[in-house]
Amino acid sequence: MAGIEENDEFYLRYYVGHKGKFGHEFLEFEFRPDGKLRYANNSNYKNDTMIRKEVFVTPSVLKECRRIVSDSEIMKEDDNNWPEPDRVGRQELEIVMGNEHISFTTSKIGSLMDVQTSKDPEGLRIFYYLVQDLKCFVFSLISLHFKIKPI
Amino acid sequence: MVNAEPEAVDFEPEEDDLMDEDVGDAAASSPNRAGAAANTPRLKSAITGGGSYSAPKKTKGRGFRDEAAAEAERNTRMSARFDSLDSVGGPGPERSIEGWIVLVTGVHEEAQEDDIQNAFGEYGEIKNLHLNLDRRTGFAKGYALIEYEAYEEAQRAINETDGTELLTQAIIVDWAFSRGPFRRRNMRRSPRGHRSRSPRRRF
Repeated sequence: MAGIEENDEFYLRYYVGHKGKFGHEFLEFEFRPDGKLRYANNSNYKNDTMIRKEVFVTPSVLKECRRIVSDSEIMKEDDNNWPEPDRVGRQELEIVMGNEHISFTTSKIGSLMDVQTSKDPEGLRIFYYLVQDLKCFVFSLISLHFKIKPI
Repeated sequence: MVNAEPEAVDFEPEEDDLMDEDVGDAAASSPNRAGAAANTPRLKSAITGGGSYSAPKKTKGRGFRDEAAAEAERNTRMSARFDSLDSVGGPGPERSIEGWIVLVTGVHEEAQEDDIQNAFGEYGEIKNLHLNLDRRTGFAKGYALIEYEAYEEAQRAINETDGTELLTQAIIVDWAFSRGPFRRRNMRRSPRGHRSRSPRRRF
C-alpha cells in the first residue's frame, strides 16, 4: 500500500450548478495537493446563503480521497458520450492523479434512470456514484469541522 | 504494513524523506524542467502553484475544450474570501469547532457503528461519528470520522489503535485536520523538535 504512487500529485475538484432565476447557484469543492480543502455553496433561494469554507486536511485524508477515486476507476472513463451540460445544470469533475489529468463535464443527473438511458450507462454510473461518495466524504469533513450543515 | 506509514502516527509525515526524493527527481530531470513547466496547461499551474510537476500529464475530457473561459468563471467563483477557523498555522493537528476529529481508514465494509463505538469509545466519549456508506453497495465506504472533545482523548485513540485490527482488517488512525499545508517543498530538513510526536496543544 505504501507505494510511490502516494507521493504523486493529487488534485480533485467537483462543481455542480446552474444559472436560473435565483442567479448562479452552485456547489463546489476541491482538494489541493498541499492538503487545502475548499468548499463553496452558493444558494440564492429564499435566504441568500453563501458558504465558503476552507481547512487543511492531513495526508491521511487526502490519501483516503485518493483511494476512493482509485477504487472507482473513474480515470479510465471518458465523458465523450455523456450528456452535455445544459440549461438545467452542469457538473464538472477534475482530477489530477499520477500521470493523468481528467476534466469531465456533463449535465445534472437526476436519478439512475438518467444514467440508464444515456449513451454510456456504465461510465456515467461510475461518475454518478463517485460523486455521491465524494460529496458524502466532504460534507462529513466540513460539517464536523465547522459545525454547519453543508447543504 | 501499517508501521511503514509513519505519518499515520506521527502527525508530521515523513516529508523529509519525501523531500529528499523530490530533490533527487528535480536534479535528475532538471534539463527538461523548464520546458515541461512551459508546456504545462494553465489549469495545472493554477492548481498547484506550478513547479511541482515533473512530467506532462495525459489529459482527457471535455473540460479542456474551453479551458480559458472555464478558468475565468472558476476564478470569479473561488476568488471571494473563504472562512476558516483561526489557526496558529505550522505543523500539528487543527482543532475543529467543538472538538478534535480523528480519521479511521481501512474500515471493514461490514463494520457497524457499534464496532467503531466499541473500539474507540474507551478513549473518551465519542461526540460524533460518521461511518459513511458506499452509495452503490450500501456497505461501509471504508473510513470513519470520530469526534472527541479533548485533544488527549483523540491523541490516545490514535496512539493506541493505529495499526491495530478491526474486524480482521488493519486500520490506520490519524488526525483529520491540520494547521497548515503538508507539502512544503521549499523547506529543508527540519530542526529537531519539529517532528515531535505530540504536537503542542492548541488552546
